[in-house]
Amino acid sequence: MIKKGTGMACMFYPNGSTGKANPAGAFIKINHDGTAVLNIGATDIGQGSNTCMAQIAAQEMGLKLSQVRVVTGDTELTPYDAGTGACRVTYIAGNAVQKTARKAKRLLLDAAARKMGLIHSGQLVIEEGEIFLRYWPAKRMTIAEAATYSERILGQPIIAVDSYSPATMPLEEESGQGMPFEVSIYATQIAEVEVDTDTGEVKVTKLVAVHDCGKMLNPMLVEGQIEGGVVTGIGYGLYEQIIEDPVEGGIRNPSLATYQIPTSLDVPEDMVIDCVEIPEEKGPYGAKGVSEPTCNPTAPAIINAIYNATGVRIRDLPATREKVLFALRELERKEEG
Amino acid sequence: MSEYQVLGVRTPRTDALLEASGQVVYGADIVYPDMLYAAARYSDYAHARILSVDVSEAERSPGVRGVITAKDVPVNRFGYKFQDQPVLADYKVYCKQDAIAVVAADTEAQAQLAAEKIRVEYEPLTPVLDPVEAMKDEVLVQEGSSNVVAHIKLRKGDVGAGFAAADKIVEEELSTQKVEHVPLEPHVALSELRPDGQLVITTSTSRAFAYITQLLKILRMDMTRLRVLTPAVGGAFGGKNDVSLEPWVALLTLKTGRPVKMVFSRKEEFFTTLRHPYRMKYKTGLKRDGAILARKIEIISDSGPYVCLGKDTLTKASVHAAGPYNIPNISVDSYLVYTNSALGGAMRGFGVPQVAFAHEVHTDTIAHELGMDPVEFRRKNLFYDRGEAATGQLLDSRAMRATFERALELEKKSNEGREEPRA
Repeated sequence: MIKKGTGMACMFYPNGSTGKANPAGAFIKINHDGTAVLNIGATDIGQGSNTCMAQIAAQEMGLKLSQVRVVTGDTELTPYDAGTGACRVTYIAGNAVQKTARKAKRLLLDAAARKMGLIHSGQLVIEEGEIFLRYWPAKRMTIAEAATYSERILGQPIIAVDSYSPATMPLEEESGQGMPFEVSIYATQIAEVEVDTDTGEVKVTKLVAVHDCGKMLNPMLVEGQIEGGVVTGIGYGLYEQIIEDPVEGGIRNPSLATYQIPTSLDVPEDMVIDCVEIPEEKGPYGAKGVSEPTCNPTAPAIINAIYNATGVRIRDLPATREKVLFALRELERKEEG
Repeated sequence: MSEYQVLGVRTPRTDALLEASGQVVYGADIVYPDMLYAAARYSDYAHARILSVDVSEAERSPGVRGVITAKDVPVNRFGYKFQDQPVLADYKVYCKQDAIAVVAADTEAQAQLAAEKIRVEYEPLTPVLDPVEAMKDEVLVQEGSSNVVAHIKLRKGDVGAGFAAADKIVEEELSTQKVEHVPLEPHVALSELRPDGQLVITTSTSRAFAYITQLLKILRMDMTRLRVLTPAVGGAFGGKNDVSLEPWVALLTLKTGRPVKMVFSRKEEFFTTLRHPYRMKYKTGLKRDGAILARKIEIISDSGPYVCLGKDTLTKASVHAAGPYNIPNISVDSYLVYTNSALGGAMRGFGVPQVAFAHEVHTDTIAHELGMDPVEFRRKNLFYDRGEAATGQLLDSRAMRATFERALELEKKSNEGREEPRA
């Protein structure tokens, strides 16, 4: 028989490492032709951070995304970064990039002010590749003109450096009290499952995932991260487990034939993904990182849904068919007895 | 929309076309002239003394240009906080995933063949594979007085008073398994000696600076002599947070003077760090109306034979173990335990997926015990706008209830117009 049920799980998770400095550095140069190079220590591990960091730099400096090149992945050429982990790249490296881009923009505006004969750059704005006076927009020049003027006439190439590290502190040794993180993110997921009571098989038919990441800088990347995290969570909840020999030690199933990961067939047909978008004032353009803990609520939501469907509570992950079937039989026996 | 409006817009990755058309350069794609391939010899035992390592036959094997053992490693213990992990096993093997020697040869097949010819003499020791057994300290994994390598404590309020005032106490034991990251791209590292004497290691990592920090100590170099490059990385999920094959290729290059490449097989991928399995005890004191007065938590984490990032993951787990709920009195005791099982490390969620499973299943169990709807129980107890974490830190938790209500709303909406399944 197929039994249906739903389950919910909530979570909170920080951006950044626990109770220690974990800075990100950034260098930016604006070339005389109005293109820019952004140099960061944070590595893109496939999640798309190079795109996101270039977006922040481009937006801040009034450039197109295609006008920003990203240099990364070199301990000699790039400034220090604590690494792509702890859900920290968008928030921490993003803040470093925004701070650096602001400095580069300031230099650009100062050069433009001098070229225009302004007392200072206070009324200048950058928009869409051009610098102009807020109250006399006819007076304008391109970013390339300002950059060339700065570099080739004033003798001041446009280069900027900055960094960011969240304000945290170590936890007190005995009580564990303190402020280990600067910001946290939140999420609620609801899973709907079908449990086959004859085989113990659990199928996740729907997954609603609502997450918080402040403002979304790139909704396409955010969605991709949540989808990926949910699938990771399904594997954790239902299939994946390293089996070690209890006597001799050693992994018995070090292959994808025997260590089962979810495939596209295990992805819920109905996947509803959303973000609540409450801006984070300390984040770059109101953003926080989203990715890392997107898998956290999935497994418990599924386990709670299995209980809701069948009355069987799995307390030891993963909820494999055997485990669910065994628990169903046990429940039957109890109910009969 | 203007192409200058780049934020808040659905923007494909700038490398999307290159990725989709197979033009991105990953570590495995890189080939140097004169390059050698490396293969490792792993331990036959989970716990044993090494009496001797004989590489002479391997060295004579066809195509072999060099073999390294522990003797070739300048500083043979590494780790972020605890330097307890050998680059290559010396007097003991601590788990079956420990490497004892690594061979560099003209081809991968030659390297693998030679690795099998390495003779290792062991004196087997009793392995301790279960963390609860290990806590009895009958067999010690590392030198020292106890397998319990860290005890993390959190104390907020007074749990004793909280339980004393409770109408109901719910206790539950929950546990999680060990899992592997399974990135599409397995670990890969290359090393080459540049003409000016600089050793360049190209490796698939998410933390190039953490790697170079470790490698500088292992190889006794400074940052003028050593440089770490990261090509495109095909997924990491925390599994590429710790050095593994990088010191091997570096030492083989130093020994042979030739570039060396190593790509882990899928099997070896399982030998790198895994997500720690946790055994968790939850005890919660409640008022009849569903208010949570106190929560006491105990966690045992199986670290494997080294600390690696086990203490950091367990600390983060402890901080989040009580969940996003208003609980005035919290006590957490977490124990990191050495065993001879496969090594734990960072993995997406860094200790928190384990406790998120526990606190959310426990939340449903409590609601059931109180005869409350789990949704209503959460609505009563979830953080409001300024949640107080187990560390005493006040959080801007406005989004907690926002995601909760929105999820319920979207779940309800998704059922509209759905056909009722036929019975």
